[in-house]
Amino acid sequence: MNANSEILCDSYKKQNWIKKLFLYFVILLLIVAMAVGISIGASGLGPWDVLSSLIKDTGRNHSIVWMLRLPRVIMAAIVGFGLGLAGAVFQAILRNPLASPFTLGIGSGAGFGAVTVILFFGGGFQTYLIASGAFLFSLISAFLILVVAKMKRASSETMILTGIAQMFLFSSLTSLFQYMGTMEQIQEVVFWFFGSLSKAGWREIGLASAMVLIPFPMLLRHAWDFNLLSAGDESALALGVDVSRLRMSSVVAASLMTAGCICFTGVIGFVGLVSPHITRMVIGSDHRFLLPTSGLVGAVVVVAADILGRTLWAPHVIPIGIVTSFIGVPFFFYLLVKRSKEYW
Amino acid sequence: MLQVIDLFFDYGSTRILEGIGARIEGGRVLSVVGPNGAGKTTLLKCIVRILKLARGSILIEDRDATCISRRELAKYLGYVPQNMPAKIPMTVFEMVLTGRKPYLSWRPSEQDLWITANILHEMDIQDLAMRDVEQLSGGQAQKVLLARALAQEPRYLLLDEPTSNLDLRHQLEVLDMIATLVKNKGIGAMMAMHDLNLAARFSDTILMLKEGKVFSIGTPSEVITPKNIREVYGVEVAVRRDNGYPHIQALHCVIDHSDSD
Amino acid sequence: MPSVLYDINMLHQRPLKKRLLIVGLTAALLLAPQASSAKEAAVTIKDALGRTVHVPYPVRRIVALNSDVLEIVRTLKAEEYIVGVFSEIVREPEFWGGLAKKPKVGSWRDPDLEAITALAPDVVVAYGRNPGPALEQKANLLGIQVLRLDFYKPNKLEEEVRTLGLLLDRRQEAERFCEWHQRHLKMIQERVTRTSHRPKVYIESYSDYHAAGPGSGGHEMCILAGGSNIADSLSIPFPRITPEWVLDKNPEVIVKAASYGNGFSLKTPAHFNQRRDAILRRPAWHHIPAVISGNVHVMDSAIWTGPRAMIGVGHMVRWFHPAFFSDLNPEALHRTYLETFQGVPYKGIFVSDDFKR
Repeated sequence: MNANSEILCDSYKKQNWIKKLFLYFVILLLIVAMAVGISIGASGLGPWDVLSSLIKDTGRNHSIVWMLRLPRVIMAAIVGFGLGLAGAVFQAILRNPLASPFTLGIGSGAGFGAVTVILFFGGGFQTYLIASGAFLFSLISAFLILVVAKMKRASSETMILTGIAQMFLFSSLTSLFQYMGTMEQIQEVVFWFFGSLSKAGWREIGLASAMVLIPFPMLLRHAWDFNLLSAGDESALALGVDVSRLRMSSVVAASLMTAGCICFTGVIGFVGLVSPHITRMVIGSDHRFLLPTSGLVGAVVVVAADILGRTLWAPHVIPIGIVTSFIGVPFFFYLLVKRSKEYW
Repeated sequence: MLQVIDLFFDYGSTRILEGIGARIEGGRVLSVVGPNGAGKTTLLKCIVRILKLARGSILIEDRDATCISRRELAKYLGYVPQNMPAKIPMTVFEMVLTGRKPYLSWRPSEQDLWITANILHEMDIQDLAMRDVEQLSGGQAQKVLLARALAQEPRYLLLDEPTSNLDLRHQLEVLDMIATLVKNKGIGAMMAMHDLNLAARFSDTILMLKEGKVFSIGTPSEVITPKNIREVYGVEVAVRRDNGYPHIQALHCVIDHSDSD
Repeated sequence: MPSVLYDINMLHQRPLKKRLLIVGLTAALLLAPQASSAKEAAVTIKDALGRTVHVPYPVRRIVALNSDVLEIVRTLKAEEYIVGVFSEIVREPEFWGGLAKKPKVGSWRDPDLEAITALAPDVVVAYGRNPGPALEQKANLLGIQVLRLDFYKPNKLEEEVRTLGLLLDRRQEAERFCEWHQRHLKMIQERVTRTSHRPKVYIESYSDYHAAGPGSGGHEMCILAGGSNIADSLSIPFPRITPEWVLDKNPEVIVKAASYGNGFSLKTPAHFNQRRDAILRRPAWHHIPAVISGNVHVMDSAIWTGPRAMIGVGHMVRWFHPAFFSDLNPEALHRTYLETFQGVPYKGIFVSDDFKR
């Protein structure tokens, strides 16, 4: 019996090792994608120029690498990581494969916030004012979900219904404001909903990474709780998880992450939904591995989508939000059809 | 010893449990019986604190259970739900390992893995270990849920109708397994049971609930009587003795108790 | 997000309309008044979509669905025939005066046919492509004529003004405006052809990092003003580009469109200057010649395409070819336009100040 037990333990450890291996693989993939990302651009600076410009100050090239390409690629990675991670968290706490920052209305809330600023405070459309509006309203929409959840019980169905309802509410308010807007405002709003990485500078990166990286350890610490939650609220409660509190605090953390990401870049859809699914198909749903890997997959997806968006039709830029959906959806269909088992 | 003292539970304004008292001792099996809606499952859920009691107290080894943290409580009480929730994206091994959650922080220790593997062997489900939970049959699933509760190394097991979805063979298998565990490990078990004959055969004590109140408590022979069953279930039965256990045979419904189903 | 999709469509209406014009629509006047049994006369004309439209002659009840046609009606001194206006007019009461009090018929993008019917107009004038063809489908059922005129491209403007002048029986007024417009446009054109230098220009539309490509009004104006649009090889009217691409193209001048309600009501150029400074501060753009020399400008949408595009072009040539056009005073042109043709006092701010280091 002891020998058999050892075999069981070993095969479990081997599985974890494979999961870890995949995590490292995605990290490698991200590094490669980012390297490609900073080696490509309209001015034709190749990898060697970039490398030398990274180190020594070569004037114009140095500016291109340090002020344009690096911020763009790093922002893409952070936003992708945040959205991928937030999506995995939402899917875990709501036990629903459809949950994501956008299907819960947090994206619509952010959009509405941005539109409000563009319409009513829009002198110069300063990035930070729009970002604050988006940030504020995405938190308001997360707060709305929490309030309704608190009033009823914090069941996942209540939260999802609240999310869907407010998605429609904020979308219609956004449309109303757009309807009232001038040509310039409408254009600004439409492009906000396409998502953009061009406006990201180092300061935005600092803020966004703070919003993503500060809640990250807290969420990771609850990885086991998320695992337990997947067997139902009651089992989780019986195994010592304070389910309501976990759900509340995770919604806050994941919303902060989402808000911190999209307030600077606009809507980058589908990443938050699809990254956790891709990851789950490969490594299953032990959240100790699923959470970081889903974030990293999100980062790879956004960095890669940005590269495609900049190169497919250069010098036209296909907006990032369009590319992620455009590439993400068919890929997702492929996975859905191809998968060997019900993984959810 | 786990004591339930004068326990009340309300669902909204409806009283579900009223003044329940019971005690579970190590190495003994207590079955809770009663018609649908009598409050069997609710009682179990109150004890593991899935539901919050309105009044009353639960003492575990003379400690007030409400003062124990959830995590600590999970080391005392193992809960086996009635059904495996649909679509759990885990393998059997992972699922049983989650029973170690009250003990582990991030990385399961060698000991945690060891305990998990041993339980799978003890229950003879080691072949299922790397299978996905959702591929299991009803009997296998019930065993996995039981295994998870055992991984908690609890002093008390609370089982919600452990035989409800099983065929005849699996019913006996699971109950035998529980009886063995209780005897060998000195665990105290509390089961919500539908089948009075199985309850009578596998329990030391039977607690009969009627409309949220204790109607009768005692040994199977004391509780399983035609009179009690007529009163509680509204059914006329004949009780025979079979290998020392009371065995009932349902005859017909009592007309003026048509409200109980 | 259904709402967003909807609005993307709306946004693309305008460039589409412009592209169509370039494809070569003609608002040719075809026939003289027809004989008819009743006393009522009618004309048949070709509109911006190349369709033949029968309109009573002279038109005495007109619904104007956008500000461009309304400006032209005012130029033709035919305000009295306006019976209905687009609802957005209330944003600019100062500029429109009494016209802002006329009955509203809903948004220029989505007019209310019921309100229009109630006004029993001889004709409804709308842009070529916005609102969409659904307008005709419904209007025809109600027996209302829709005339599509764009008034946006300086080269086609005069033709369309003459068409409207004919319909409203204001041929003299139309000629007067066309003569003025032609004279100044020609002067600018002649001088531009004499200069060989075509400075590279980055024209940015309302949203940051969106160029004005072929098919956009900004592009047309840039060409008229003797500039070389760095986006002229791109394929859509408002392409998104990367900051690096602009940097790589080394533009000598940067012009950005902006609208803050209406330049007419502005008292300071602060908004425009703010936006100009934001461009000057964009990361890594300090290597761009236009930024180094401070040749960066922001222009109000009132003189950016539309009937006043010629004034916008006037500003552009001064930025593109300062030596050749030192005597050109676009403000004076604008004053004439507002005071003589629009009958409103000259005021407002329409461009950012020249940048001085």
